[in-house]
Amino acid sequence: MSLDRRLLKKLDFTLITAVLVMCGIGLVFVYSATHRGVGYGQPEDPFAYSKRQLTIVFAGLACIAVILTLDYNLIRRVHFFLYWGNIAILILVLIVGRRISGAERWLKIGAVAVQPSEFSKVIIILTLSNFIADANINSGRDLIIAFLHVILPMGLVLLQNDLGTAMVFAGITISMLFVAGIRAKNLLTIAAVGALASPAVFFLGLKGYQRARILTFLNPYTDPTGTGYNVIQSTIAIGSGGFFGKGLFRSTQVRLNFLPAHHTDFIFSVIGEELGFLGGVAILVLYAIILWRCFQAASTAKDSFGQLVAAGITSMIFIHILINIGMTMGLMPVTGIPLPFLSYGGSSLMANLIAIGFVLNINMRCRKILF
Amino acid sequence: MSNHSSITVKKRVGSLFLMWAIVTLSLIGRLFWVQIAQNDHYRKLALDQRLYPIPVDARRGAIRDIKGRELAISVSADAVYAIPADVDDPLDTAKQISKILGLDAEDVRKKLSETQATVWIDRRVEPERASALRKLNLKGIGFVERGQRFYPKDRLAAHVLGIVGIDNQGLEGIEVWYDSFLEGVDGQIRSERDATGKEIPGGITQFIPPVDGNDLYLTIDEVIQYIAERELEKGMAELKAKRGMILAMNPKTGAILAMASRPAYNPNRYFEEPDFLRRNPMVSDIYEPGSTFKIVTAAAALEEGIVRPDDTFYDPGQIKIADRYVRCWLAGGHGTQTFLEATENSCNVVFATLGVELGQERFYRYIQAFGFGNPLGIDYPGEAAGLLQRIKNVGPVELANIAFGQGISATPLQLLSALSAIANGGTLMRPQLVSKMVDPDGVIIKEFKPDPIRQVISKETSKELSLILESVVANGSGFRAQVPGYRVAGKTGTAEKPEAGGYSEKRIGSFLGFAPVEDPKIAIIVIWDEPDVDISYGGVIAAPVFQGMLKDVLRYMEIPPTVSRGIGHDDITNQHVTVPNLIGDNPDNASKLLLARFGLDVSAKGTGTKVVRQTPAPGAKVPRGTTIILYLDEAESYNIEGEVIIPNVIGKTMKDVAIILSELGLRLETEGAGIAESIQPQYGTPVKRGTIVKVKFGPVLYD
Repeated sequence: MSLDRRLLKKLDFTLITAVLVMCGIGLVFVYSATHRGVGYGQPEDPFAYSKRQLTIVFAGLACIAVILTLDYNLIRRVHFFLYWGNIAILILVLIVGRRISGAERWLKIGAVAVQPSEFSKVIIILTLSNFIADANINSGRDLIIAFLHVILPMGLVLLQNDLGTAMVFAGITISMLFVAGIRAKNLLTIAAVGALASPAVFFLGLKGYQRARILTFLNPYTDPTGTGYNVIQSTIAIGSGGFFGKGLFRSTQVRLNFLPAHHTDFIFSVIGEELGFLGGVAILVLYAIILWRCFQAASTAKDSFGQLVAAGITSMIFIHILINIGMTMGLMPVTGIPLPFLSYGGSSLMANLIAIGFVLNINMRCRKILF
Repeated sequence: MSNHSSITVKKRVGSLFLMWAIVTLSLIGRLFWVQIAQNDHYRKLALDQRLYPIPVDARRGAIRDIKGRELAISVSADAVYAIPADVDDPLDTAKQISKILGLDAEDVRKKLSETQATVWIDRRVEPERASALRKLNLKGIGFVERGQRFYPKDRLAAHVLGIVGIDNQGLEGIEVWYDSFLEGVDGQIRSERDATGKEIPGGITQFIPPVDGNDLYLTIDEVIQYIAERELEKGMAELKAKRGMILAMNPKTGAILAMASRPAYNPNRYFEEPDFLRRNPMVSDIYEPGSTFKIVTAAAALEEGIVRPDDTFYDPGQIKIADRYVRCWLAGGHGTQTFLEATENSCNVVFATLGVELGQERFYRYIQAFGFGNPLGIDYPGEAAGLLQRIKNVGPVELANIAFGQGISATPLQLLSALSAIANGGTLMRPQLVSKMVDPDGVIIKEFKPDPIRQVISKETSKELSLILESVVANGSGFRAQVPGYRVAGKTGTAEKPEAGGYSEKRIGSFLGFAPVEDPKIAIIVIWDEPDVDISYGGVIAAPVFQGMLKDVLRYMEIPPTVSRGIGHDDITNQHVTVPNLIGDNPDNASKLLLARFGLDVSAKGTGTKVVRQTPAPGAKVPRGTTIILYLDEAESYNIEGEVIIPNVIGKTMKDVAIILSELGLRLETEGAGIAESIQPQYGTPVKRGTIVKVKFGPVLYD
């Protein structure tokens, strides 16, 4: 590991600190949400979930360390393998994947269950950046190639019934095209096509439960015990938290099992209930710091590839936060999108930490000296 | 993209960051709305969804009579509920429960497997069973005390009280009318439970105590009610009527003293009896009152000065009104009579004349002022308004009919209220069933004062008509209502039940009256609907019931007798009546009339369809109870040889004997004084007319 001392000096410690604090908060609330067990019965070890999550944090930090030693441009040499390897794994998920609540998202490798779609988001950011960096994004041909580049993995994810991730793909792609300098006219055309296609997707492409989720998002009280239940209980949790919250580990909604998936997708509801408005705002401020550093990396990267990768990763985190937190307060439909660094879940946390590793890498190798 | 400057990239990244800032601000805005602006709302939702309530019943207030005697009370019964989430083994638990409570095990198991927070297993459990079940200490099975309605006197005043449902909610009668005062406010035990309904150990438990209901004191007096029901039971057995009703009221206040009807039901087990039994005919059903309605006609005519008590009328038996004949009930008519006598005789012809003379507008004004055609506003559900013909459809014929109670329908309550107005000096009172409300601590919340509706007639008319009605009882068709020692006023009524296209053979015999005349304390109406007897006159079947009830009520009310002699004789058989002219009449009809209206016994002789001769002769004054002999053919009356048969006169007074023998053309030779003890020749012996008959009289012997 030959990490140049000059480079190390340029490492963005603000970002690292913010991410580590966020992971720490995540560990605390995973503990809060799981120490009495998930569902019924006291767990053997109240720290079981937090310990597993902590392991991932360490593993993720190790990955970051490895990523930092290499110039990110090395990725461009293996883009072909990355892209098609990713496609192959997504196909494999469809064939042998495990089904969890209507979606085939899991791949079992030995004792570890992996969610390849989480990693595929980072991979597509890398390979798409590789393509756009050398392409004329305002030429029709290159635009179509970029479109096809994304539509293949996105379609596979949709086949896994993972609507949320597919939406994230779309969001990332549009943000990257925007940063790459696509003309407003072309962007509007894409938006128009998307808008026209969405009813067809809604009625033909979506499964019944997905449609129901979107409909109950529009009015959760149409089905308070069915699909609207999650949103109602989550809003009750956050709303009953008030300004200061009910106190750490004092979430009644979690303790009494009213709130489903409280350690994964609805971790923000637990924070909102226990720490109140203050805690919620604090989380959003911490995210703002992380994203501010990521945007910084994107705008100061030494080359187009670096700019695009950083912008893609920033958008990915941004979209995750918007969809997840919006969902917990009834602003977004329920789609199993985890909250970066906070939600329990190895694949998501690992993928996000790897993504942060790339941002740090890009930032470290930027043209200007920032400090 | 190498052709793009880093300036563009920076600008675009900057706008993305701006977007992020907007998103963050809107998320914070949403947080603010949900957590701060709507905090109370969500806090309440969160609490409500984990506090599961178990109801604690409020004790339903008792219903008591005017003196506080209990008519409806609440007794405690255990109710068993289950919290399905806490039940570990529904099958086994169900088996144990069903064994003790005698329920179907499968039903219980289904209840134990429901997804509700709580389910009732049995809402009324006997104490022994409940304690047996308690001992098992089954998980997830709980007990609460619930009030259960109990009517300690079973059928007594059932129609007044009404019934309650399984949740103690008033369904009928006073129970429903005053439901909100009786029911109280249920309490709750609320305990904290998780999303699946399991109780949280050490969780919040709230007890919201119930507020017990208020007690009602009726105007009904249990003893008077009991007397009324006793008389009804007796009458129903004798008369085999379809229905019988007695309603009693304090004429000065409108307070109902008794309200009874047969057939009745047992409110403790009402579900075992047909629904129609629960209908209260005195308030909810209307009927054609017949002659009892003449009190209204008389009141109007007297008040308007159309008639004076001593005005004379001539009743030829029928009167032509417009193109119709209105007939008097007495064939041949009552002849010349004063208005007082016409009322005593209940003469239809005279009343028809008065009705026509009053005219539509005036007559209707009084009818409505007396409360007919509109509900009186009694505090009881389902009061009927009665039925008046439209005034524009009322011509002279209709007026004549209404004047004696046909072509108008009213509730028994309306009739009695009208009579009360006549009795009390002319004021129509709103009938009332409740005298006061008392809260669970015994504090009086509300006392109901008498509620006058309007002055209908003047005090003078009231007094005048009361005396006329007193005369009806003293001398007229209502004589069977006399109570020795008291001045009683009243009116009989016999209505034909209307049916499609006319009137049927079915009758309603009724009597209404009040006493004492000088200071009325009670007004009573007695009605028999479709009695299954030959003689269905109100004076015969209803007046004695009135008398039987009034006698006991006056004693119970400790009202001292005010009359020793004169009107209100102590023995009605000592009174004399004028024998009517029955010659030419149908014998069946004639005998009924004699019995019903005059209290005379009848003995018919011979076979024939017309009375050819009668003895004593028409116009003779004879004591009530005297036997009138009706001869149906000449042969029977004077046989060919001029022979007559010695009649049985034993036990009769000298005067009676003289009349009877003279009618037969026999000559009397008396010995001694008092009542007849023996007759010579023996009775039944045929003798020649003109024969001297020796009758020995002796003193009246009392045991």
